[in-house]
Amino acid sequence: MRETVKLISMEGFEFVIDREAAMVSQTIRSMLTSPGGFSESKDGVVTFPDISTTILEKICQYFYWSLQYSRGKETKFHIEPELTLELMMAANYLHT
Amino acid sequence: MEPKIIDFEQGWDYIETGITALKRHSESLPVPKFTLEQYCDLYTAVYKMCVQKSPYDFSSQLYQKCCETMEEYMNSTVLPALNEKLGDEYMLLRELVERWSNYKVLVRALSHIFFYLQRFFIVRESLPSIETVGMGYFRDLVYNKLQSKVREAVLALVDKEREGEDIDRKVTKRVLEFYIEIGMERYEQDFESFMLKDTASYYSRKASSWIQEDDSINDYIFKSEQCLQKEKERVSHYLHFSSEPKLVKVVEHELFVVHENQILEKTHAEKQIGLGPLAKIFKQHVEDTTINAKEQVLIRKVIELHEVYMVTECFQSHTLFHKDLKRAVAGSDALLATFCDRIILKKWGSEELSEEDIEKVVMFLAYISDEKDIFAEFYRKKLALRLLLNRGVSDDHERSILTKLKQQNRGQFTFKMERMINDLTLSRENQNSFKEYVAKPGIGLTVTVLTSGIWPSYKTFGINLPNEMVKCVEVFKEFYETKTKGRKLTWIHSLGTCHVNGKFDQKSIELIVSTHQAVVLLLFNTKDKLSYNDIQTQLNVGHEDLVWLLYSLSCGKYKILIKEPATETVSRTDVFEFNSKFTARMCRVKIPLPHVNDKKKVIEDVDKDRRYAIDATIVRIMKGKKALGLQQLVSECVQQLNQMFKPDIKTIKMRIEDLITRDYLERDRENPNMFRYLA
Repeated sequence: MRETVKLISMEGFEFVIDREAAMVSQTIRSMLTSPGGFSESKDGVVTFPDISTTILEKICQYFYWSLQYSRGKETKFHIEPELTLELMMAANYLHT
Repeated sequence: MEPKIIDFEQGWDYIETGITALKRHSESLPVPKFTLEQYCDLYTAVYKMCVQKSPYDFSSQLYQKCCETMEEYMNSTVLPALNEKLGDEYMLLRELVERWSNYKVLVRALSHIFFYLQRFFIVRESLPSIETVGMGYFRDLVYNKLQSKVREAVLALVDKEREGEDIDRKVTKRVLEFYIEIGMERYEQDFESFMLKDTASYYSRKASSWIQEDDSINDYIFKSEQCLQKEKERVSHYLHFSSEPKLVKVVEHELFVVHENQILEKTHAEKQIGLGPLAKIFKQHVEDTTINAKEQVLIRKVIELHEVYMVTECFQSHTLFHKDLKRAVAGSDALLATFCDRIILKKWGSEELSEEDIEKVVMFLAYISDEKDIFAEFYRKKLALRLLLNRGVSDDHERSILTKLKQQNRGQFTFKMERMINDLTLSRENQNSFKEYVAKPGIGLTVTVLTSGIWPSYKTFGINLPNEMVKCVEVFKEFYETKTKGRKLTWIHSLGTCHVNGKFDQKSIELIVSTHQAVVLLLFNTKDKLSYNDIQTQLNVGHEDLVWLLYSLSCGKYKILIKEPATETVSRTDVFEFNSKFTARMCRVKIPLPHVNDKKKVIEDVDKDRRYAIDATIVRIMKGKKALGLQQLVSECVQQLNQMFKPDIKTIKMRIEDLITRDYLERDRENPNMFRYLA
């Protein structure tokens, strides 16, 4: 029974992904597992008003790829060059 | 998309509101709830303020502000709350625990929010993390000020519990966890050490009063055991596990060691069996008295102890004592044999050889020894030397010792030794007859006949005897044939002694040497100088043995022969000359042979004997049972052999295998763990 989390981009797009995938990001992980139990940590909805949809999409893809890679499947993760800068900033923010 | 620059004041205000909400959240105050969204926002705000280009890079200010916040929270909220409760110990503890947990939540949350700071700024500047800072504040502002009060409060609770009252264990546990979280050393120094002291004084008071009141030692022991149990429970309930051994030791010390003597006196008077803890004191006692004891003193002390405590029969059957005593006197079998030997030879001053001493030793031995056969072997060797070299005291004495040993152990133990003594008596009778037989006293020859197998095996080496000696040997052989037919005589010259008259320049000195040495010396009757090779050819002795002999005559204390060159060792190219200039103070001089340390050999011999014993036992068992499983065979073996020594299971198995290859036993075809006896 996998739990899911919802990530919302600045434009309002909602990405529903597995909890495990989302935890690849340290920031999201600490948000979801903070002691003191934030409300909605059970529902798991996080809004990112500074991250565009394209980037957020790529990030979700990255989460899944990261999980696969750590399980042994050594494929490549392709990044379109024009996304790199924003992607890196987002990665920095999300600590991943 | 140009990000909006956030001004510090603005940014901080925003964050501060968030933090206030967070504070309330950490105190579990109802409304407003702190949401994930807020958390996100705060985190983002921090992030933005840190990544802005300077001069808008507010990392360091943020850090500072964060720390200030924590400090301020401490001072404004936590401290006053605690100070309020100072009057009531119990309330103080509760408040402390609660504030501590709230504070932890707050700090954790803050550090998450400011995580971005953590990742870069703090690392870059090598500053302490927010959590560390937070803990630091708590420690400095709260802990240091209040900790002694807190401690007193806890100890008061503990004492209350000891007196039987119920206390709030949960709170106590949390307080102690708090201590540990502040730091293990704090726990140990500020709490544990005081606790141990308090415990010690508590129990010392209790112990004194109990010793006075209690008539029966059993009650005291019972109460003490209970206390010990309760203290252990206490540890599991709220103390840190590392305190357990220290606590136990303190309690034991106060209850037992301090009053050791009184307890033991009482026990003595009552002849009642002691329990576990008593065994512990006993062990302590034994250890205390045997540390640094020298051989002789050690044995004596041990025997004393044994006497004092084993008088009561009950003790003897108590296995705990067995174990403790054994441990305390490990490895003393050889010592024990040496002790007996020396006592008999009265080497230790003018100690009268008393019956009691021997009895004590024997009882002790019976009690203690797992490896009686090693003792037996050592004893046998020493006995042999005593008998052969006429060093011992009377035969009667030896016999009486053996009788006592026999009483304690089964016959087999002393069988050989009794035969040894018998041999000697027989030999003496023989000798008298021999003297009559020889009619004319031309040869001063005394022969002792030993039954082989009874005596320890001695190494000897052949040597070409000079004619005079050969004649003696022949004569004795004839004589012996008349007495008993069909026996083979092997001469052990290495044990024989000769009295040789050495005509030196200054005076004649009688030399007491071994037979071998005498033979070497007699060679010099005909020639003054002889080379190593000459001697070897004439005597037909092996190189090592000859070196040994010549060494004793030329390089020892008394140089009967002069060696050229005068080196420390004998080599094949040396030449020996009769030392006419030799002289000594006495008219009779003993030339000793360098002694070989045979302790190892004894143990080897014993090992061999054991293997034979195991073999014999296995065969005996199998003969009786015809077929037996492995486990049963092994356990039967162990049982039968336990009298003498503790057989090693592995060895038994090896011997079984060996017997199989020698066709004494066979493995059952179906069941590899069953054995059958082969007639």
